[in-house]
Amino acid sequence: MRWFGFGFNAFGQICDGLNEAAGSDVTEEIRVLRPTELDSCCCCSKISGVRASWSRRATVHEDGFDAASSSQSCGVSLSLGCKDASISEQHLTLAFPDRIESWDLQRKDQTPSWSTETNTQSESSSGCPLLNLPLVPGGYIATKPPLFRSLSPHLKAKSLALGGDHAVLLCASGAVYTWGLGSHGQLGHGGLTSEEEPRAVEALWGMSMSGVAAGGWHSVSISDGGDLYLWGWNESGQIGLPSRGLRKTMQQRSSQQAGALCQDADVKSGEEPQEGEKHEDVFISIQAFPALLDVTPSCEIRTVSCGSRHTAAVTTTGDLYTWGWGEYGQLGHQTLISSDEPQRVEFFREQQMRVVDVVCGTWNTFAAVVKEEVPNS
Amino acid sequence: MKTFSSMATLWSKISAALPPNEEQFPLQFSDTVESSVVDVLKRSRQQLYGDATSASRSLGAQIILDFSWEKLNTGTWRHVDKEWRRVYSYGCLFKVAAQCRDGPSENEVLQAVRTCDMGLLMGAAVMDNILQVIVGILQDEVRKSSKEEDEPVERLKLEQPHVPVIRQEFAIPRVKCPSLESFNTNQLLPLKPVILEGIIEHWPALNGHRWSIEYLRSVAGCRTVPVEVGSRYTDEEWSQTLITVNEFIDRYIMNKDGVTGLGYLAQHQLFDQIPELKEDIRLPDYCCLGEEDEDNITVNAWFGPGGTVSPLHQDPQQNFLAQVVGSKYIRLYSPEDTDKLYPHQSQLLHNTSQVEVENPDMERFPEFAKAPYLECVLQPGDVLFIPVRHWHYVRSLELSFSVSFWWS
Repeated sequence: MRWFGFGFNAFGQICDGLNEAAGSDVTEEIRVLRPTELDSCCCCSKISGVRASWSRRATVHEDGFDAASSSQSCGVSLSLGCKDASISEQHLTLAFPDRIESWDLQRKDQTPSWSTETNTQSESSSGCPLLNLPLVPGGYIATKPPLFRSLSPHLKAKSLALGGDHAVLLCASGAVYTWGLGSHGQLGHGGLTSEEEPRAVEALWGMSMSGVAAGGWHSVSISDGGDLYLWGWNESGQIGLPSRGLRKTMQQRSSQQAGALCQDADVKSGEEPQEGEKHEDVFISIQAFPALLDVTPSCEIRTVSCGSRHTAAVTTTGDLYTWGWGEYGQLGHQTLISSDEPQRVEFFREQQMRVVDVVCGTWNTFAAVVKEEVPNS
Repeated sequence: MKTFSSMATLWSKISAALPPNEEQFPLQFSDTVESSVVDVLKRSRQQLYGDATSASRSLGAQIILDFSWEKLNTGTWRHVDKEWRRVYSYGCLFKVAAQCRDGPSENEVLQAVRTCDMGLLMGAAVMDNILQVIVGILQDEVRKSSKEEDEPVERLKLEQPHVPVIRQEFAIPRVKCPSLESFNTNQLLPLKPVILEGIIEHWPALNGHRWSIEYLRSVAGCRTVPVEVGSRYTDEEWSQTLITVNEFIDRYIMNKDGVTGLGYLAQHQLFDQIPELKEDIRLPDYCCLGEEDEDNITVNAWFGPGGTVSPLHQDPQQNFLAQVVGSKYIRLYSPEDTDKLYPHQSQLLHNTSQVEVENPDMERFPEFAKAPYLECVLQPGDVLFIPVRHWHYVRSLELSFSVSFWWS
C-alpha cells in the first residue's frame, strides 16, 4: 500500500517544505492541494497505517513505528514492534504486542505517562479478537486527562471513534453508542443535550453497523450493507446536506470573482429526482438524528474517516469521496473550496489507483492506494 | 477623492500602536494552549517584524483564527477557556496587520474593522486591548474618507405607531427624580416597578449628541454587531447574524433591498465595543444602592425597528431600562404569579414564558388570563425599574433605542 496525503501541512505532516528560503511563498507548502505520496523515511518497510492529529502524523510500519512525522520529534525511543498508534495534539499512544503506552508529547518525558500490560487472556475475555486503539483492555485512552477511561464490558466494544468532545462506539452486536458533548447534535439522540454515559443511538436500532467515525462535531456510521449515516453539525457541509453558511459563502465568492464557477454546479446532475432546485431553500444546520446519505448511486461504502469539519469515504469499488470543509485543501479536489455534496477525488482515478483506506487528520486527509489491476468499466 | 498620503500613514499609525520589535511582543499562554499552536503564533510574530509575503502573513493569521475558532465552538461558551479567546484575538491582530500593511483600499480598511470587531466580540483582550486601539485608528481613517463623500441624508418615513391605551388601574406608577432614599424605601426594597422620569435628561444621547440614524451611522456605521433575525427568540426561524451597523440600518430599519422580517440589535454590550457611545450615556445614580461592585453592571443596547418583541421572561438581576429613542409597550408580571405564566420546561428557556402575551392561547394557557399585571408605554426620557425576577414583555411601537442596566 502506498499512502497519499493532502490538506494542512504547516508542520510538514504530509511533506517537508522544499524551499525554506526567507521571503519565499510558503503558502503552497502549508496547504497541499495535489495528493502527495508520503515518504517512508529511513526504513524500507511499507506503511501499514497512518494516524494524524492537527499538527502531527504518525505512521505505523510493518516492522515497527516511525514517530518523527512532523519537524518535532517526540522523544519516543523504543518503538519497534509497535502494532498500532493513536495520536492527539497532546499524546501519542502506542500498542505493542505485550503492552500499551501513552506518551505526553508536550513534556518529552523519558517514560510514558500511562501504560498497561496486555496479554491474550484479557483480550479473549473481552470477546473481541484484537482491540483497536483508542480501545484498550477495560476501556479506552481519551484525548484529555484522565487518559484512561473505563468502559463496561457489557458493551462489548469493538471499535471507538473519538471526536472533538464526544465518542462514538461500535459494539460487537452492531449497535452504536455515543456519549460526551451533544450541543451540535453529534450524539444522534435527537436533541442537544450531552450524555455522561454511553447511550444507544436508537434511530439505528435494528440495523447492524460495521464501522464508525467521529469529527469535531459530527459522527458517521457505516451499515453492514455499505450505507452511510451521518449526524451532527453541518456548518461546512460535513454531513453532506445543504448548508446555508456554505451557500452564502459561495454566493459572496462568486459575486466577487466574475466568472468563477461553483464547484457544486458539476455535481448537481447526479442529484436525486425528488430534490428539485427549489429544495435549496431547505438548509440543515444541525442534524440531530442519523441521516442516510447517498454518497454516490449504487456504491457501497467500505470505510470512512472524519477531520474536524470534513468527511472522507472509500467505496468498495476503490473510489474516495470527500465533502465538508475544504479551505486547507483537505477535500483533495485541488481547490480550497468547501462542499456540502460528496465529490469523488479524481486524482486517484486519473492515476489508476484504487483507494483502499482513508484516515483523516484534523485538517488533512490520508488515503491508502494500490495499483488498479482491472480497469473500471 | 482620497489623498494618497492618508493611506500611506495608516500602517505607520498601526505600527506605532504595536510593540517596537519582536522581542517586546508578548506571547504568553497557559498550558492549555499546545506548543504547536504557540509555534504558529511565533511564526506570525516573526512575519510581523520580518520579511514575508502578504499571502503568507494572511495564511498564518488564518491558521490561528481557524484553530481557535474550533476551540471557541467546543462545549458551552461559558466554559471556553479564556486562553483560546486570547489566541483568537491574536489571530485577529495578525490578520489586521496583514490587511493594513500594503496600502489597503477603502474596502480593505472596512474588512480590517470587521476583523477587529470579531476579535472584540469573540476574543479576550490582549496587549492592553490593542484591538480597541487599532479599531479606533481604522475608524478615523474611514471617517476621513467618508467625510469627503456627502451622501444625501435619508429621511426615514416614520409611520405613526399604533399606541396601546394604558388603563389607569394597570399603569406602572411614575415618579419624577426621587431621592436615593425614597427610591430605596418605596421601590427597591419592596421590589415594586416604577417609571423614573427626568433622571436621564442630562444624557448627551438626549442632548448634544442626540441619537439618531445619522449619528449612529457616523459613530458606528462600519462596526460589526450581532443582530437577532426573526420575530422572537422562541421561534424556530430565529437566528443570529453578524453585520455592520450600516447594513443593519439599511436592511432592517430602512428595509432596503426588499428585506422583510425583523432584525433586532438586542442584548449587546455595544458600549464596551464603541467607547464613543459610552460617553453619551451615564450610569443611573440609583445603581449605587446595590450590593455588587459597579464594575459588574452589565449595560446592553437594544436598537431596532417597530415591531420587535422580547417574549415574556425574567432576569436574575435588577434592571433599569432607559428609553432614548422611540417608544415601547411593556407589560410586567410579578414573580409571585409565575405559576400562571407557564414557563418553558427546558433548561435553556426556563426563564421564558410559553405564552404570547398579546395573543395568548386560552386553551393551552387558561390560568394566564387570571394573572395580574402592570403595563406602560415607555417614552424617550423614561427609565423603567424592573425589579429582579419580575416577568417582562416588551414590544417596540416604532424605531426604538433603549439602554438596559443589569445590577444587583
